[in-house]
Amino acid sequence: MFDKILFATTASPTCDAAANVAFDMAKKYDSEIIVFHTYGLPSRGYSPFVTDVRTGDAEVSHDADYAEWVKEEMKNTYAKQMANVKKEVRFETCTGVPYTEIQRLARKEGVDLIVMGAHTREEDVGATRYRNVVGSTMQRVAKSARCPVLIVSRPCTTCFWYFSNIIFGTDFSKASDSAFAFALKTANEIGCKIHMFHAVDLSDMQMGREHDQKEIEARVKEAKEKMEERYVSKMNDFDNYDIEIWEGIPYVEILKFARERNGDLIVMAHHTREIDPEKALLGSTVEQVVLRAACPVASVNRPDKL
Amino acid sequence: MNNVSLKNDGQMLLNGRPVKNRPLMCLNHSLGIAEECTFRSYFRLIEQYPPLAELSPFFSGYLKEYRDAPEERCICEDFDYLELSKTVEMIGFPGKPRLEIYIALHGICQEGTCDMRHQSLFNLLDMPLKLGRLKHIIFGDRVDVFEFETVFTLFEFIDGIAWELGFHSVPMTCTVNPKEVSHV
Repeated sequence: MFDKILFATTASPTCDAAANVAFDMAKKYDSEIIVFHTYGLPSRGYSPFVTDVRTGDAEVSHDADYAEWVKEEMKNTYAKQMANVKKEVRFETCTGVPYTEIQRLARKEGVDLIVMGAHTREEDVGATRYRNVVGSTMQRVAKSARCPVLIVSRPCTTCFWYFSNIIFGTDFSKASDSAFAFALKTANEIGCKIHMFHAVDLSDMQMGREHDQKEIEARVKEAKEKMEERYVSKMNDFDNYDIEIWEGIPYVEILKFARERNGDLIVMAHHTREIDPEKALLGSTVEQVVLRAACPVASVNRPDKL
Repeated sequence: MNNVSLKNDGQMLLNGRPVKNRPLMCLNHSLGIAEECTFRSYFRLIEQYPPLAELSPFFSGYLKEYRDAPEERCICEDFDYLELSKTVEMIGFPGKPRLEIYIALHGICQEGTCDMRHQSLFNLLDMPLKLGRLKHIIFGDRVDVFEFETVFTLFEFIDGIAWELGFHSVPMTCTVNPKEVSHV
């Protein structure tokens, strides 16, 4: 299912949950795995010094020996997980802007899946409302990657081995069609159930917009018809699914739904609305879901690598 | 300053007299909580004063879970009690200097604080709930941490815990057969 997996890591404990899932999948699907870490931002021109991405230290000397040392450190960090993977595990490092370099490598290598953590550092939940804690790297990669991006922000011991409930959240956008194709392919491969979900967005009630019951019911009916037309019609023989339409604030409803159905993977399209991730405070639905969900979230925007 | 106190049964007392209605007027009052209060008292408070439930979109789901929970022995052995604390961080480096103030709910055990997001509500409801201190952290060339006594308003209490609950979820299916994954 995935021939080549790119695991983008900060090489810190915050990515341990993502590492477990990435190596687990490589083992399960007999995939080649590339472990990639961008360790420094170039500071000036062709200077031999880079700014350490994690610590912000400005004067990290960067040369071939340093890059080799970083690779060795990564090998030691992931030695235990590597032992279970049959195919080659490659370690790559470079300097540069992390999201650009991750996408460059993903394109160059033609990877089928990018696995990454949600944060660059451990955050207190209370602090998340004041900080753009869904890493901007994750946001930018999820928004532009040509392949699915699996974001793992919490420890998850059995993913992609015992998946039993895939939650597919849709807003009926074009990108959601790609997310659906990924959800269906994964469910077919694993033999599990897809819960197709849409939330009729009532968040404008706070702005004074009134919704009467008839209107809500009409929108729910319309959404159900769209589900049938857009997705069910493409399922062929696959019949292990259900359709659920709720109303409310989309990210709240999808999280509640995932909890109710014991979802172990949420598949969604990243919103394509152009918000500068550096400025967006808990911006789109997918970011809210990534932050709060207990299970991994797959962001799929394009059909290229499905 | 006006002061409200929370009883174990979720009732608020204003100047020693029970608050019967208009609880929103108490939101900016400083809060004291009775020693016997548990996490369940928090839900009893929200249940007793319905307007407070509008402060977070997650309340409807959690109130349902709270109502479905057993009426006693909902405890977690990983920590001793739950504590709501306030943190003021002055961050000078890296990046632009900034000040952040936030409220967090943690489990407290002998080793210190622990994350409670992975605990089911069924394991938390009868855990004692306490108001903690203010932690003042300064990130500069070195990190300085100071702790002070502080007060919480009713709003900070409700909203701080509600925010935390928005991140709270237990991966039920992920606990299935974890030993079969070889590296775990």
